[in-house]
Amino acid sequence: MTLLIGLIVVLVAFSLLRAFLPEQKFVPVTLALLAAAVLVGLHYEDLARVEFWAGTIGFVAILSALLIVMHPNPMVSVLFLILNLFCVALFYLLLQAEFLAVLQVIIYAGAIMVLFVFVVMLLNLRAEETLRAATALQRWGALALGIVFAGVLFWAIQNRADRPFFQPETFKQGFGTARDLGWLLFTKYVFAFEAASVLLVAAMVGAVMLAKRRLD
Amino acid sequence: MRVEFFLIIAALLFTIGCIGVLVRRNVIVILMCIELMLNAVNLTFVAFAQEGQTMSGHVFVFFVMTVAAAEAAVGLAIVIALFRRRRTTDVDDASLMRW
Repeated sequence: MTLLIGLIVVLVAFSLLRAFLPEQKFVPVTLALLAAAVLVGLHYEDLARVEFWAGTIGFVAILSALLIVMHPNPMVSVLFLILNLFCVALFYLLLQAEFLAVLQVIIYAGAIMVLFVFVVMLLNLRAEETLRAATALQRWGALALGIVFAGVLFWAIQNRADRPFFQPETFKQGFGTARDLGWLLFTKYVFAFEAASVLLVAAMVGAVMLAKRRLD
Repeated sequence: MRVEFFLIIAALLFTIGCIGVLVRRNVIVILMCIELMLNAVNLTFVAFAQEGQTMSGHVFVFFVMTVAAAEAAVGLAIVIALFRRRRTTDVDDASLMRW
């Protein structure tokens, strides 16, 4: 964990240097690379730990999610959402859901995000200048509700029954593969599966109808 | 390494997506924030499925992905129809059916 925290500190210092010394092109990069190299050299044993990599993926996921929300240009938001979806796919791999990780990359990062990129490029949107025009009361209310919501979630996580897990030697063989998922899908959840096919047909027809130029 | 780590990451992602839905004006970005929230919930499902060693959580994630695909297709079609009529993707300009 020391290495991860050190690298995050180096990244923050690098961004601050870039922000306050815009004319210096190479000094911050060199300093940051040197500091990162020293950190890796001092704590190289962290590189072999799963906690380090999980923390790194989590940091990238949170950072990309923040950039989706904060960046004014929708195209950049789409690209960071793709990065975020890849991070979640890596989490699925860590949680032994290999088939879902593959599905995440194919369906989400592949199909759905291509749709988003296509629409953003088709509409040729300008970057929006301001955030939503809300009254001060609404803005502070939203902020307070968000903080309360996050607090409730963290409280729920902290107070749940504490059970250690994540020993790779206790992993069941074959858990999370396409074979097990397909078995469940076609026996126990077969009705939901058929309903999903109806939903997809309805969505397809609806999308074509909505996007048609003239409704007649 | 505990399941709490994934739950905290999922809670953070969900909260960020929720804030995005509330503060952004562009419909496409709002749709993306909804995808972000769905992903956070999916991560929670997978984490609990791993903890309880049951595959039903994975099946639920599968269906959430299906619904997300349908939602993105219909939502983006609505965005295109809106843009064609009004030349805007601002949610505040499409408030006829708000109340």
